[in-house]
Amino acid sequence: MPSNLPSNLTGDLTSDGSWFDRLVDRLPQTGLMKFVAARILVPYWAWRYPVEKQPGGPPFSIQPGDNVQRMMNLVMPLKDKSAVGRAIAALAIAQNVDDIYAGLDNVGTVHFARFVIVDNNICMLSVYDGDFTNYIRDFIATIGSVFDAVVGLVEGGDDVIPSERNIEKFIDWVHAHDMYQVPDLATGILRDQEALKGDTADTGNDDLRLLPRDLILQLNVNTNVSLGSGYRAYPGYSAAQVRRQFGIGW
Amino acid sequence: MFKPADVQGNILRGYRKPRVRYLMLEVADRAAARRWLAACTSGRDGVPQITTEEPWITKPVTCFNIALTYEGLRALGASQRSLDTFPTEFKEGMGQRAVKLGDVGPSAPDSWPAPFDEPKRIHLIATIYADESAQLDSVQQQALAGNSGFSLLGKRDGFNFNDNYVHFGYHDNISQPKFAEIHDVESLSDAQPVAPLGTVLLGYETNFEGLLFKVPEPEPLGLNGSFNAFRVLQQDVAGFEAYLTTAATYLLAHPKVDELLPPGAEAKIGEGLSRHAALREVVAASFCGRWRNGVPLALSPDTAHPSPEVDPTDFDFVGDSRCPYGAHIRRSNPRGGQIVQRVANHSRRLVRRGMPYGPAYYPEKPDGEERGLLGNFIGANLGAQFEAMSCDWTNLGLQDPRITGSNDPLIGANDPATSWFDIPLKSGATIRLRELPRFVQTRGGAYTFLPSLAAIRYLGALTN
Repeated sequence: MPSNLPSNLTGDLTSDGSWFDRLVDRLPQTGLMKFVAARILVPYWAWRYPVEKQPGGPPFSIQPGDNVQRMMNLVMPLKDKSAVGRAIAALAIAQNVDDIYAGLDNVGTVHFARFVIVDNNICMLSVYDGDFTNYIRDFIATIGSVFDAVVGLVEGGDDVIPSERNIEKFIDWVHAHDMYQVPDLATGILRDQEALKGDTADTGNDDLRLLPRDLILQLNVNTNVSLGSGYRAYPGYSAAQVRRQFGIGW
Repeated sequence: MFKPADVQGNILRGYRKPRVRYLMLEVADRAAARRWLAACTSGRDGVPQITTEEPWITKPVTCFNIALTYEGLRALGASQRSLDTFPTEFKEGMGQRAVKLGDVGPSAPDSWPAPFDEPKRIHLIATIYADESAQLDSVQQQALAGNSGFSLLGKRDGFNFNDNYVHFGYHDNISQPKFAEIHDVESLSDAQPVAPLGTVLLGYETNFEGLLFKVPEPEPLGLNGSFNAFRVLQQDVAGFEAYLTTAATYLLAHPKVDELLPPGAEAKIGEGLSRHAALREVVAASFCGRWRNGVPLALSPDTAHPSPEVDPTDFDFVGDSRCPYGAHIRRSNPRGGQIVQRVANHSRRLVRRGMPYGPAYYPEKPDGEERGLLGNFIGANLGAQFEAMSCDWTNLGLQDPRITGSNDPLIGANDPATSWFDIPLKSGATIRLRELPRFVQTRGGAYTFLPSLAAIRYLGALTN
């Protein structure tokens, strides 16, 4: 019986089992077992079955409706992890508010953008239409200086600014800081892992018993993730479709 | 400083030769392949000489050019440090970018025939341009004689079977970016701005104000180079013609058909055409944005034979242009027209050089032959130009909210279950056509780097 199933499930299935079965079923809930799993089992698994870090952002789809209102979740560790560093980051945004509004308007494919600071990471969260690289490139062309002001405060950011002179590197860097979006379908994560290995053919061999392990190993390397690709309360429309519908110009 | 003799001749302008052959080659012997590269810059040792951009007095009988894949650069021994300076999409290769490019279903790289089924083995694509088939054979023989260092994986021949007309019956090769360094821009009629060299060549100002694309390192390898998306695009001519017939039948019964084509206006479309046949041509023109003879709808929405004649390139998509928003030429290049991505007007332009392959199709004698286009989509940045155009504009239609959610009617990844296309009427209303099948399937291709002459010498001189 896999020890990582919830105990209420395993408990029901094995209620007639021996005292040993009951002990094993209770193990995942024990402090000792949690310690062993986190400190020994997962590192061993990660060494034995290395898993590559998944790229960030939503998968590009061939269904047009899937390619609008897509989520970007950048998590960028601040260089200065103090209240002063956080304040400087807050000011960098505040000082550029006018440019940010102008950029959102001119890029044309953004629904909204948010900046938050979480645990010394400055996070840029936005909803955009179409291809990620086009979105970032158009943003650089429109308000690259704002990107530079933020990215300059982030670990490793100095290597990719000014963005206007490092377009390709900058886009790759931003992509690397975008959260992996864990697929909703259980087998989606297996497909993503295959794709990363360059294996595009569906093997049809989904060993679902290994799914919990694969998920743990993936989250061991992708520590910040988005669960799913965002959930909409209505079908997807582009920002320009919304603006046109309300007669506010696009 | 722009030096024409350092730039391969097939980038900034076309040779206008009727025949082309692509040789897909694998490096079999690195040292010999390097000697071959060193020799082809001057044409010594019997190796065909690379045709450059240097002006000629008499046009060469044949022209010869080369392109390298990322795997090719690696096979020739370019250092990892240098390889790392190439852009991600080039490193990954066309197959890895399939979904972005709409290469799905029967167009997916998994179903590409040899040699494109083993993309990592394609290292160099040599291109021969000539007037006659025999000349193609003789240059190929010359190129691969003795120990060239390359083994031939496959070849593809193209032939302009009807001057500048391509399968589907359109006049092609009409509009290309023009460069101040190459063309006599004073006498150009094209309404579009002259393109900066950085549109296609690495190391120059681009159409994106203030933005420079990365020149791969070291400089002799990257400068004056360019990138190319080489595509083998199969065209379903029978399917295309059948759809025109179906659409014309649907339009004939449509309540607004008289607004689309006033009774008696059939002769303006073509001499002796029935109403049904004229409507077929209206649909074909709407799909492309040009009548099949090349006359743009933007200048002549009601007739394929305007009098006086109109210039094929002197137009823009502004004001009340009656070219459909979703027409192929407007989607691929919205010129100065209003688009969602305001910084992107003119910035995704690229050079297109294509030639048909396979025999001409005669509707009265249907056959099962494969035919299509061998296309080259050349630009300084595959991501910013070819891919940007393919994934947001050709498919998806993000540039205009009136077409968002639809794909290019001619080359898009259409599925009859969801596809649609709007034909505009004078009143501003539209007639929507549905159930467009996919007319063009991808059968192969590669992302390649078109090295400068200095770069070819650099690679030829490597010793590791």
